Amino acid sequence: MRHHGTASRASFSRVTSLISTRNLTHSYGDIKALDGVTLEVPRGKIGLVGANGAGKTTLIRNLLGMLRPAAGHMEVLGMPVSRESLDIRSLVGYMPEGNCLPLDQTAADFVGYAAELAGLPTDAARRRSSEILFLVGLHEERFRYLGDFSTGMFQRVKLAQAIVHDPEVAFLDEPASGLDPEGREHMLDLIRRLGDFGISVVFSSHILSDIEETCDWVVMLDGGRVIRSGPIGDLGIAESLTVEVLGDPEPAARWMTERGATVTFAGATLDVRTAGEDVFTLVRDALVATNLGVRRLSQRAVTLEEAFIREAQEEEGHD
Amino acid sequence: MTDRPAEAVIVDRGYRHFEGIRKGRRGAIGAVVRDGLRRVLGLRRKGRRKILPWSLITMALISVAVLSALHYAANRVGVTDLVADELPHHREYFEFISRVALLFIALATPELLVPDREQGVLAVYLSRPLRTIDYLAAKATALGILILGFFLIPQTIFHLLLGLFSPDGFTTYMLDHIDVLWQVPATSLIYFVGYASIALIIATLIPRVGFAAGIFLGVMIMFNALSGFFVEFADFAGSEYGALLAFESHPHLIRDWIFGASTSGYPMTRAGFEPWVALVTIVAIAAVAVGMAWNRYRRLS
Repeated sequence: MRHHGTASRASFSRVTSLISTRNLTHSYGDIKALDGVTLEVPRGKIGLVGANGAGKTTLIRNLLGMLRPAAGHMEVLGMPVSRESLDIRSLVGYMPEGNCLPLDQTAADFVGYAAELAGLPTDAARRRSSEILFLVGLHEERFRYLGDFSTGMFQRVKLAQAIVHDPEVAFLDEPASGLDPEGREHMLDLIRRLGDFGISVVFSSHILSDIEETCDWVVMLDGGRVIRSGPIGDLGIAESLTVEVLGDPEPAARWMTERGATVTFAGATLDVRTAGEDVFTLVRDALVATNLGVRRLSQRAVTLEEAFIREAQEEEGHD
Repeated sequence: MTDRPAEAVIVDRGYRHFEGIRKGRRGAIGAVVRDGLRRVLGLRRKGRRKILPWSLITMALISVAVLSALHYAANRVGVTDLVADELPHHREYFEFISRVALLFIALATPELLVPDREQGVLAVYLSRPLRTIDYLAAKATALGILILGFFLIPQTIFHLLLGLFSPDGFTTYMLDHIDVLWQVPATSLIYFVGYASIALIIATLIPRVGFAAGIFLGVMIMFNALSGFFVEFADFAGSEYGALLAFESHPHLIRDWIFGASTSGYPMTRAGFEPWVALVTIVAIAAVAVGMAWNRYRRLS
């Protein structure tokens, strides 16, 4: 059990719902950044995906109480944002996408200050600052001025300030932005580890592979609307098979299409995707029915990117 | 034969949860105040960030030491008339220290507000248990502590030293000069509000610390000259209201009013206004400054 100083905060680890929103709407002038967002997200590592301008940052800033929605209701950790935003902010960390570090302070001083800003006493804040900078791999550099830091080190300090006060949940807005591949891998590894420490993570990114590698739940945003929210395993991954056949693939493709599968083929290679039905069984039956032999068969994971595009297209189709 | 030493073990410190007390909003406000003090004084910053503030503080303290030494010397040789009439006292010390304080305010006010805004640190503040009004109030508190300290600490030292050097004895001097106990704090407050309000308006609008400081000093000098022009040379109806633009001299006028000295010679009095009009002007500018800062930061957050 994690304690947050007061009895009312002691039970937050038992709260299973991380984020709950109903018809959340936010506009910047005539532009609707969030359009009736309704979500129910459990604790864990949550990926918030969408193109630039999809509403990811606006959603996070609304959940933190930094922006006021035009309409709708939000809860974070079971607390309504409209009434308890300060209590929520004591329990969450936020890593903004843009610059947020004072260049004339050392990493240790700033991260310690960030802890004090979350209400930690000065001594505890200094101790936590040292521990967290060790955790993010900046222990040796902690007394260097932030103005002398590289982009990768900057991002790690930003992460450190977001978790230094031991939050229940950390909102990370594009944490891997601007990092080289090695730095990105390090950052993703740190984010994965946060889950092991019992800190829930809401990780926004437009790089879908980062979410795929890190998160266990994904919320897809497109044009301010939620197009999908669910466990990452439910996104159709492993529903696709690539089959290279001996002979003309067209009859088999037609046979499977008639039974609801999505089939594309080039040469003798078929790409088969099903909606919930066991794809292996369908391919086997198709090959038997059309009397075709198999040269090669491979399961192909549908990437999050493909899933996102598919969901976005379906959403457009509904409109 | 000795026992084998225990083998070294690598211990992963891992992650430890914080189990202590969280002070919430109150703790956050206190942290902003403390950081504001450190920022302006250059503490926990590079050495060159300390040069300007500490030079000004040193200047204030040295001037008190010199003045006190003059009083001491005059008392020792028994020229009490000189001590009473010619040597500078609290009001005259304000005349000098207010010029130094103008530089200190030009440095401190933008330093407290501009970097947070321009380096994006506001996003961190506003994700903590802190409202916009808390942030601004904490910054104003830090500025108040610094500026009032800048005025009051040298004046307090000066007062105590004058008491110690007085031929009438410390207690008698203190009782004879009891009015100083309200005159000095009241005048310090007027200088703080009068100057810091203008600096706050500029620091709210200008995105660079150096520019904001320069513009503040420029406004104080130029507007004083402009008000002098309106009072002396302009002869159109209502030109006397140009005296209201003498932002730099309003606190001097009120200082002389508080200390019971002559208030003639200031643009306001030359234009026919009573000293209380200068006080109302300062309060009005302070209200505008607070309103502008609130509006700007409300939008930013």
